[in-house]
Amino acid sequence: MMRILFYFGKRLIFVIPQLLGIVLVSFLLVKSIPGDPAVLMLGPTATPSAIASLREQLGLDQPLYMQFLIYVKDLLHGDLGTSWQTTRPVLEDLIQRFPATLELVTFSLLLAIIIGVSLGVHAARKPNGWIARLADIYGLSAGALPDFWFALVLIFIFYTVLGWAPAPLGRIDMIVLPPMPITGALTIDALLAGDFEAFKSASAHLVLPVLTLGLLNAGPILKMTQATMEKMLESDFSRYEILCGIPQNLVVRHALRNALPSIVTIISVLYGFLIGGAVLVEIVFSWGGAGQYAVQGVLNSDIYPVLGFVLFSAVFSLIVYIAVDLLYFLLDPRISN
Amino acid sequence: MVSSMGRMGEALAQDASNTLVIAAPATPQGLDIEFDVSLGSIDSLGALYEYMLGYEKIDDPKAKGVMREDTSVHTDKPNNLALRGRLAEQWEVSPDGRKATFKLREGVVSNWGNPFTAKDVKWTWDRKFNLKGQGLFQTAVLGLKSPDQIKIEGDHAISFNLDQPNPLLLKQQCNLANPIYDATKCAEVGGKDDPWAVNFLKNDSAGFGPYRLKQLVRGQQAVFEARDDYWDEKPFMKRVIMREVPQSSSRFSLLQGGAVDIAQFLQPRELEALKNQPNVAVDAVDSSYMIWLELNSKIAPFDNVDVRRAVNLAIPREEIIRTIYYGYADEQKAPMPYIYPMADQSFFNYSYDVAKAKALLEKAGVGTNLSTTLSYNAGDPTQEPIALLIQTSLKQIGIELTLEKLPAGVFYENVTKRAKPMIFYLDSPWTPDPGYSTYLYFNSKSYVNYSNYDNPDVDRMITEGLATLDDKVRQEKYSSVQKTLMDEAPWGFIAYPQYTLARKAALKGYTYYSSNNLRFQDFSRG
Amino acid sequence: MYSKLGLIARLAVIRPRFAIGYIIVIAITLLAIIAPVIAPYSPTEADSTSFLQVPSAAHLFGTDNVGMDIFSRAIYAPRIDLTIAVLGTLLSALVGGSIGAVVGFYSTGRGIRVWLSFAVMRAADVLQAFPVFVFAIALVASLGQSIQTVVLAIAFVNAPIYLRLMRSQVLSIRSMRYVEASQVNGLSDMQTIIRHVIPNAMAPVLAQLSVNIGWGILLTSALSFVGAGVRAPTPEWGSMIAMGFQNVVTGQWWPSMFPGAMLAITVFGFSLVGSSIEVLADPAKRRELLSDLRERRTRSGLPVEPA
Repeated sequence: MMRILFYFGKRLIFVIPQLLGIVLVSFLLVKSIPGDPAVLMLGPTATPSAIASLREQLGLDQPLYMQFLIYVKDLLHGDLGTSWQTTRPVLEDLIQRFPATLELVTFSLLLAIIIGVSLGVHAARKPNGWIARLADIYGLSAGALPDFWFALVLIFIFYTVLGWAPAPLGRIDMIVLPPMPITGALTIDALLAGDFEAFKSASAHLVLPVLTLGLLNAGPILKMTQATMEKMLESDFSRYEILCGIPQNLVVRHALRNALPSIVTIISVLYGFLIGGAVLVEIVFSWGGAGQYAVQGVLNSDIYPVLGFVLFSAVFSLIVYIAVDLLYFLLDPRISN
Repeated sequence: MVSSMGRMGEALAQDASNTLVIAAPATPQGLDIEFDVSLGSIDSLGALYEYMLGYEKIDDPKAKGVMREDTSVHTDKPNNLALRGRLAEQWEVSPDGRKATFKLREGVVSNWGNPFTAKDVKWTWDRKFNLKGQGLFQTAVLGLKSPDQIKIEGDHAISFNLDQPNPLLLKQQCNLANPIYDATKCAEVGGKDDPWAVNFLKNDSAGFGPYRLKQLVRGQQAVFEARDDYWDEKPFMKRVIMREVPQSSSRFSLLQGGAVDIAQFLQPRELEALKNQPNVAVDAVDSSYMIWLELNSKIAPFDNVDVRRAVNLAIPREEIIRTIYYGYADEQKAPMPYIYPMADQSFFNYSYDVAKAKALLEKAGVGTNLSTTLSYNAGDPTQEPIALLIQTSLKQIGIELTLEKLPAGVFYENVTKRAKPMIFYLDSPWTPDPGYSTYLYFNSKSYVNYSNYDNPDVDRMITEGLATLDDKVRQEKYSSVQKTLMDEAPWGFIAYPQYTLARKAALKGYTYYSSNNLRFQDFSRG
Repeated sequence: MYSKLGLIARLAVIRPRFAIGYIIVIAITLLAIIAPVIAPYSPTEADSTSFLQVPSAAHLFGTDNVGMDIFSRAIYAPRIDLTIAVLGTLLSALVGGSIGAVVGFYSTGRGIRVWLSFAVMRAADVLQAFPVFVFAIALVASLGQSIQTVVLAIAFVNAPIYLRLMRSQVLSIRSMRYVEASQVNGLSDMQTIIRHVIPNAMAPVLAQLSVNIGWGILLTSALSFVGAGVRAPTPEWGSMIAMGFQNVVTGQWWPSMFPGAMLAITVFGFSLVGSSIEVLADPAKRRELLSDLRERRTRSGLPVEPA
């Protein structure tokens, strides 16, 4: 237990300067995007004096380093600034949109894990079999498809031609009542509320975007599973088990357990990546997620949403990594001893 | 967040036949016309606010089942206009044209329950003088110099007192930009810090219109609710849900699937595809819309009038209308909407002619290899293809165009800065009048003169035409203004797009207004 | 000994998918070079007499909204896409790789150099913690929309990969005898890096390069898709997909499907090439391959060359 605490202490020492670094770099980057927030907030008919007073109020008349310090100070008070497009505090917007992204990404990741791990394990069992070949080709071609284009193809086939999928427009049908938000994930909230219709609609809207992201991002998991499993099955340990006459399924299961840390690592990296990497799919499906919010921010010189999103996703990645480290402690008794 | 989602659900649960669902390109950015003229905002205004006067409605001569304002000159009617009373019950203009007196309707209450009096009208115009947003233009075009020129003549009577006669005195009372505010509520919420209730009116409304704002979540939806205490006929649609759907293809899908009643601003190609659908109807009417290129007169090479003329000769209008608009537009041949009184298209001399354009460039002596940038709005899907056609066409006369795509959110900032040599603009003057239209875009001091056009003669003639009530004199003045403008070509004239409305076939009552907005109270199901 | 080229050629026979990779890459590159010769129409000029035409003999891939020929544009596109991706990737390898090599060389021992290399690694951590796409699009937004900035964005997001890769290569090679020996022999640090370290690290870097060129193409097209890439009407796959995107609902699938397919095939080709280099660079897999090769030769009665 002490070791875990010690570990987290050490980890935090590194995390804080790293987060500061992320905020600094992104601040400098978005600050150099042309466009005066005061002008944009007040609209095209604003008077110069109104603009000047808003600039003062926002601290835009101060030197850059002061603006940064103001931002960090506000940040520590939980104030992430205001979006001129939604005219709402960025924190509120993100609290509303981040769960949408998270729901999409989590389901996609689950699909990717199912495909990646099962295909990887089977491929590793027979390295020259047809599944291995299929896995090879699949791994390579999945990574080659642009996700936004693949999403369009799916929409064309399943919505335009066949009419099986709902309109690629957000997370739930317009006529269906969304459930009361508890977790922010519509499917889970609908189940918690016992609202079957909302659940059906939300699930139907998830199918195409989850297929897009899940199918295209299973590659790294597949590759890692296949490689580590091959190594594990060739290890002395597995060979010994086989010699002892232990059933093959059990041997594979033991090998998988040993391969798990590497697989979990790649999954955690992918999780962090997908938060930002789902942006284009969010746009194609008008998902209303956090990534879409950030991209609109960049394109329209609305800087605080961008900063907020970068910060949110960095913190999220961090939480995932820490959770994974915790998982290692559980998976591998050697570390915790 | 919890409560807003709860309200959204409540709104959706209402009886579907009395609920109007609109797929709009954007929700209102702000609800204060003083500072915001975005699409969502102008569609909200006519529902939330009431106006002093309105035009009579007539059947649209071309589109079956569509009504429109009767904005033409009626010599048989008082003041030559076909008007009907709204908040003003009776009105009278003095024979010298310098004073208008309005008798106001009694028993009208706002959406906050406050009774309507002359103080509300006075406060509304005082606000324009004090805030100096677009209201400044509204006062200037009437020749008002001080708020004292608007006088309270009793609880329910008010007068406008001008130094010179002005033909717009009554027309301006119908203009969408002049809604009447509930002064009592505004004073109450604004307090000392915000005497003109700028913060309040941005997010909510205080007016005498048929609807109140129920909810506004920018980027997602706005919900309006019909008022039971509205003074005039109660609207059929009890609830109006305006959903933001930025992609026109998505709005198309929603209407096609029956999920919405109206899909706004579809692309002409999509309208064509809807024509064959049984449950969907498309209304297309001649409108006050114009799409043009601001050729910045202060930036090379457009500081040279011959370059501007050459560009106009090389704009492939016919191709644009056929390829991009699928016929839902006409060639722009005047510097004001062709449907407005006194518009004159006879000065148009820019039929597509590459040889003539080349000769003009040669005459201008600007060299054979001109290059400049054309900026367009990423939020308007017709602009990029038009830009591509113009680029190809201008190449033939030796002008190399770089295309610059500007995101919708910063596009208008770029237009107002007037720092781009050539930028698209789609707009319309809301008062159907040649003086109003030309003053707006070509008066050297107007804030909307985005092409930096500056001609003292034109300034003078526009102003003179705004100081007489004699329609014959006005016709002369504005013909001459239009002739000069067409000759000096401050714009690259492109097209008059039609106003199109794609709707469910069973939805009735659509009325066209010269400010190109919807009024939710017009709609019913039959 | 096999020559490298010969090896690749023979490899193609027993692993046909590698051959496919090389064929795709070569074909796309050739297409880009000869595009002006074989393109039936101008890739940037609108033609309002034939807009949105279905694929036909006159327009192999159909035409778009303003009558531009999609086939001509699709074969011109690799000129832009490949150039951007290759330049961006090379730049990131050059900058990231050389910093990585130096950092790897200095990251053991004592003194200010160690601290510096530590700082560089933490900076790389920061860069990698960014959501890639948002970072790239912000870069393009702040530097202005042009081909150069897209190249720079690709270089920026990939640089940390090469930094880490070179560093770990250097770390593993440094400990080897001959490097130590060369230092004893009085070669300077820089000379050691150039003479011994870099040549040895080449194979994994090359494999990574090929994969990253594919990513670069994807990133370029993604930027164009949201309107932050190259300017219209530059023929570029991503912007073509974006332009045709709206047409799908009204049934015109061809303006976005063809460029998307070409893009996917190209990236697939680069991934195959990358994985072939990876196999060649991995001693174990290479041995396996060569034994495979020998087996076939024996069967076919050809003389066996020593591996």
